[in-house]
Amino acid sequence: MKAVLSSDSRRIKIRRTNRIVQNLKRDYLLYALLMLPMAYILIFRYAPIYGVLMAFQDYNIFQGISGSEWVGLDVFQFIFQQDSFYRALKNTLILNLLDLAAGFPAPIILAVLLNELRFTRFKKLTQTVLYLPHFLSWVIIGGMVYLMFSSGGMANTILSGLGLGKIEFLSDTTNWLIMYVAVGVWQSAGWGTILYLAAMVGINNDLYEAADMDGCSRLRKIRHITLPGIKPTIIILLILQIGRMVSIGFDRPFVMGNSLVSDNSDVISTYVYRIGISSGDFSQATAVGLFQSVVGLLFLVSANYISKKIGEQGIW
Amino acid sequence: MNKKMLVLLPVLTLLASGLAGCGGDNNNGNAPAETSNASAETKAPSGSPVTLTVEVFDRGIQGQPDLNNNTWTRYINEHFGKPNNAVVKFVPVPRSQEIDKLNVMMAAGEAPDISFTYDSATVSRYAKINGIMLLEDLLEKYGQDLKKYLGDTVLTYGQFSGKQMAIPAKRTSLAWIGSFIRKDWLDKLGLPVPTNRDELYTTLVAFRDQNPGGVDGVIPWGLAATGMNYGTGNLAESYWGEQSDEDFVTSPNWLKPGNKESLKFLNKLYNEKLISPDFALDKTAKQADADVTNGKVGFFSANWDYAFRQNISEPLKANVPDANFVPVDTFKNDEGKYKKMIYNENGINVFIPKSSKNAELAIKYLNWMANPDVLFFLQYGEEGVNHQMVNGIPQMIAQTGDNMQTSPQNLDYTLVVNGVELGDQEKNIKALSASYSGLETTAEQSYKINTTDGYTGFFYDTPNEANIKFGKTLGDMNKQMTDKLIVCKPSEFDGMYDKLVKEYMDAGGKAVMEENMKIYEAMQANKK
Repeated sequence: MKAVLSSDSRRIKIRRTNRIVQNLKRDYLLYALLMLPMAYILIFRYAPIYGVLMAFQDYNIFQGISGSEWVGLDVFQFIFQQDSFYRALKNTLILNLLDLAAGFPAPIILAVLLNELRFTRFKKLTQTVLYLPHFLSWVIIGGMVYLMFSSGGMANTILSGLGLGKIEFLSDTTNWLIMYVAVGVWQSAGWGTILYLAAMVGINNDLYEAADMDGCSRLRKIRHITLPGIKPTIIILLILQIGRMVSIGFDRPFVMGNSLVSDNSDVISTYVYRIGISSGDFSQATAVGLFQSVVGLLFLVSANYISKKIGEQGIW
Repeated sequence: MNKKMLVLLPVLTLLASGLAGCGGDNNNGNAPAETSNASAETKAPSGSPVTLTVEVFDRGIQGQPDLNNNTWTRYINEHFGKPNNAVVKFVPVPRSQEIDKLNVMMAAGEAPDISFTYDSATVSRYAKINGIMLLEDLLEKYGQDLKKYLGDTVLTYGQFSGKQMAIPAKRTSLAWIGSFIRKDWLDKLGLPVPTNRDELYTTLVAFRDQNPGGVDGVIPWGLAATGMNYGTGNLAESYWGEQSDEDFVTSPNWLKPGNKESLKFLNKLYNEKLISPDFALDKTAKQADADVTNGKVGFFSANWDYAFRQNISEPLKANVPDANFVPVDTFKNDEGKYKKMIYNENGINVFIPKSSKNAELAIKYLNWMANPDVLFFLQYGEEGVNHQMVNGIPQMIAQTGDNMQTSPQNLDYTLVVNGVELGDQEKNIKALSASYSGLETTAEQSYKINTTDGYTGFFYDTPNEANIKFGKTLGDMNKQMTDKLIVCKPSEFDGMYDKLVKEYMDAGGKAVMEENMKIYEAMQANKK
């Protein structure tokens, strides 16, 4: 019995290896093509991970990782004692939450509106105009915002011309937060519609026709056909966005921030820039970066878990 | 089959180029080793030339020449490179990101053989982690002229924990900051030049209410975000009260008696609309420059020569021909003195990274540069082309392109000196003033005003570990605190000042101060 079994399993194994070899032979071109992205990911995404070791060392830039002294969790301990770290963390979360609240629905609404447009020409033109800000660098946007909204800027000139008085758009904390989010929406909402519009193309036209037959109004069609049709896309993008909750781009807060709102504009990325590149303390910067990735991963996993629990699809 | 080959080919080429990219990195890593072989060959006259790399600031000046190929670099290669069988190659570093870039280059082991920074905290950090060369013996062997030129005092500023780790440049002009006021506005209103804070206040109010320039949106006091060229001059000093030497030197300005009042004064001015309304948003000082050159600003503080610099004086003259900024000393303290910070005798800190294979040649280079003839050429170029002699004082002829100097007196290339060097201090100042063509007398007057009642920053001979760790954060806090306190509502000022100072002390200010005290006391004990 035993002999038979083992010979059976051996046969299966042999068959399996044969199949692998066969597959390789048949699709070697595809595998060759696959090697490029694989190599890219290995070299530029996985290989640098060993640098994480710096977070557990008193890293000396002249000795490198092999020559630096190991200090265990000292670096983390130091960071967690810094008020400025908590401030940066808090601000990152606040700005991202605001962005999520205002910036996430914006492209959905915009995409629905675009989808309802009848004239293709006009639709195309609108889309192009909406995409444009996405291609502007934040440095330029920052300059534009300053020119338009500083106290001598266009907005305030008009306001005071109308006798409404001036508004401190950029130096008052609350106003600055609003500006930060609004400019973010302006810059990225148009570009964000692309995925949703693509998803809408996939919705079966029969559904709309059937709804027309039943005498559905536009709003009802949006509510019962369009939105449910793009729900999977919305959820996947939402999960990804939540996974990015702790990380934040560098340019936007750095360019838009100023000393008067620094209590709100100093975020993790600017913090890492300051301690890592400017003060040359690579250990601390790496530790903060590692912390950020771990928390980000936790957010992502839990968002995915919740989404699956309530019966929606996750990203894996 | 053919089709398959067609697909495979680009894949392989791409892979190969990817690998070549990796290979490129390796080559870079090997480069120093190769040059070290070459440096061994220098002794043999026929060997291939060694490459000596030297940092140079890229200031992004309009119309600047190739920083690695212009009149000055060619002179250096001709007169130093050839005789020493070397090629001197300049590595441009953006001026405003100097330290960021240096940190990265040092970490990658690719910093130039001759690197430098104005920030001595950075040098002391490199010294502490043992990344730069000890220069004592090298200077003794190859740098006798340099040692003689700089003198012992200047060299002490390059010593960290008693060891010579950097070579400071000699600074010949010591004025740092200055304040300027529109004389034509004063004359129009029949007002005298203010000589103290109260008079300045009255003057600023008059500027605001009577708008003597007849401009749209007059700005009595022009200011930009703290940390840029524009500042508040020696206003704080005029408020500071009496302190022991040790307290004065070791404590942060925030704790100095009277400092709070100085900011309160600024806060009052800001709230009475006497200061640029959006100064805190002006992170690059471009707006302040524009306001000054458009003739909207009545008074400002900046570097002692700021009003005379070409980028300010020329557009201002074009826009408002009568505009006339004069230097003014207006922040008088209780003792009747105009106390202000001036520079120590040292300038930029030059050092040689441990990764360098050309330390000997680097010192030889600096030693060669200490020669008066060399310095004169690098600062003044050729007579008739770059300068004219007037009463024995060279006067610069402004140049563009190849002959252009991207920094005053070419200081980015003349690493051993900061300021005019004609071998005689009086001549130096005359020549310095002469560089502001048309404004020579005012410039000379400004230099005089801004070196009176001066005090210099204290030099600690031991690296302050707390400062290395917290320095940058505290520096940023300094700027933010100043801006916030100037802008806040007067009723919130007192509470805010105390709160911010407490935050500052908690964020490392206290640690830095305590270590300052320790080092200071040790230094005093050593003196006895």
